[in-house]
Amino acid sequence: MDIHDQQPPRPGPVLRFLLIVGSGGLLLAMATDALAVLGRHVGFAVNGAIEIFQMCAVVALSSAILIATLAERHAAVDLLAGRLSPGTQRGLAIAGRVAALAAFVVLGIGSAWVTADLWPTSEMTEQLAIPLRGFRLFWLAACTCAAIHSAIALIREVRR
Amino acid sequence: MIYPEIVGVLAFLILLAILLLRVPIGAALALVGMVGLALLISPEAALIKSGVIAFDTVSRYELGVLPLFMLMAQLCFAAGASGDFFAVAAKFLGHRRGGLAMASIGGCAGFGAISGSSLATVATVSAVALPEMRRAGYRPGFAAGALAAGGTLGSLTPPSGALIVYGIIAEQSIGKLFGAAIVPVVTQALFYIAVIALMCRLRPELGPVGPRATWRERIASLRHVLDIAALILFVVGGLIVGWFTPTEAASVGCVGALIILALRRRFTPAALATALYETLKTTGMIYLIVIGALIFSTFVSVTGVTEHLSGLVHAAGASPMLAVIVMALVLLVLGSFLDGLALMLLMTPILLPIVGTLGLSPIWFGIFLVRTMEIGFVHPPLGFNVYVIHAGARDISVGSIFRGIVPFLLSDFVHLALLIAFPVIALWLPGLAR
Repeated sequence: MDIHDQQPPRPGPVLRFLLIVGSGGLLLAMATDALAVLGRHVGFAVNGAIEIFQMCAVVALSSAILIATLAERHAAVDLLAGRLSPGTQRGLAIAGRVAALAAFVVLGIGSAWVTADLWPTSEMTEQLAIPLRGFRLFWLAACTCAAIHSAIALIREVRR
Repeated sequence: MIYPEIVGVLAFLILLAILLLRVPIGAALALVGMVGLALLISPEAALIKSGVIAFDTVSRYELGVLPLFMLMAQLCFAAGASGDFFAVAAKFLGHRRGGLAMASIGGCAGFGAISGSSLATVATVSAVALPEMRRAGYRPGFAAGALAAGGTLGSLTPPSGALIVYGIIAEQSIGKLFGAAIVPVVTQALFYIAVIALMCRLRPELGPVGPRATWRERIASLRHVLDIAALILFVVGGLIVGWFTPTEAASVGCVGALIILALRRRFTPAALATALYETLKTTGMIYLIVIGALIFSTFVSVTGVTEHLSGLVHAAGASPMLAVIVMALVLLVLGSFLDGLALMLLMTPILLPIVGTLGLSPIWFGIFLVRTMEIGFVHPPLGFNVYVIHAGARDISVGSIFRGIVPFLLSDFVHLALLIAFPVIALWLPGLAR
């Protein structure tokens, strides 16, 4: 039996929300692009398909990074750590959590800075004039949630 | 006074150390890059640059190719494609000496085209092929060695995840990279098949002859892979001849995979949800690494280390061949303890400018880099593929799998040497499509 015959693991409400939003973004991006290809070969134009794709990608990929964080799926090199004593391994786990937290905090601050700078300009896409503010906020929210999750995971690791 | 080159070298060493200490790859790359930029330019510039890179990465149209090809792979898995390619190859080759091992190479090449990943290929094909080979009386070490080596085909077979990531980091055409990978993949698979044939001729007990399938059975088995093979051919072929861009190819591939899923009567909400969940989870992991790598790459370009290294190579008057051999050795050594993706993201910003200085093609370099990275999947001490097989067959020791790999590893080195000596192996096909 392959994994697709099984029921997917029942996610919590946050993960379920992210899965719905991220999947929606990904499927809409796919459909828009495929329709644009069809249109080009058949003879109709899907105006602004790339812009729609980009906005869907922001939603899908922000959700994806947060899903990977919640699911503890971020890749690390295991060669050395696995051979150390349990105490040292725990120390490394804490260091890894601190690094993940720091990375998300700094990415979040950087993104917030750029968003704040661009806020008064009412930044929009060129063809369809889609306002980018909401999408920048969505990405910022994903960074913030990932940082919060990393902080909670760090506290749990320290208390363990 | 801060010397940027010294900061660059120190940052590289610190990055290597913290990667080995199990800090997540994406976070490590991003942090080292940001701290380096803060030191060399200013903390404010480092923060803003990181913010700009992060949003640009998640909103860039060209990068959408990665999650969509992953979704296509997951949908093909959901359609039940996992063991089909091996089963078909086994029907055609199983009656020959070592035929099932040869079939496992064919299965890995076919499945690699769907999954685009070495680890997924070896895990999936070995789950089907290893028990079958053992039932047929194959020596476990030899069978596992063939599978571990065959699994590496997944990294290079288009549409390859590693090539997509390289194309993003190096800003190279993903279509050309896919085209450039085809001849190396085919020759690599042929090398493995030749090794199996030679080994079984010398020691027939390694891979005994199996029963011969009738032509009716062979043709019937083809039905299980025709739709997915046609989809892959259409997507990769259309991309190479210019029918669509890489992102469009991936979108069309996803639509095709959804149709196959429906035609095979496996289109259920659960199957779709699992495919989407797995896609998003893996995509999120890779995107954090890509964001980190782009920040690190910006920092490396600010340090001027690469210009310094390029200047050194130029001043030394080293031939491109010698420089490439040194690069291969460095990559093989680093590949002994870093995983493929980390190795690629760490070394591309450093080596690519040198490749440019030497007048070599960045498309060829992408194939060379992934090919070298693949070898890291099977050579000790890391050899991820070995541990994947060992996890599924605990009674076969890691040592005996590594011993089984040795002949394939030798053929890998010969193949890599040929790729270095004759770049046309990779560059011929993209040249035709121009």
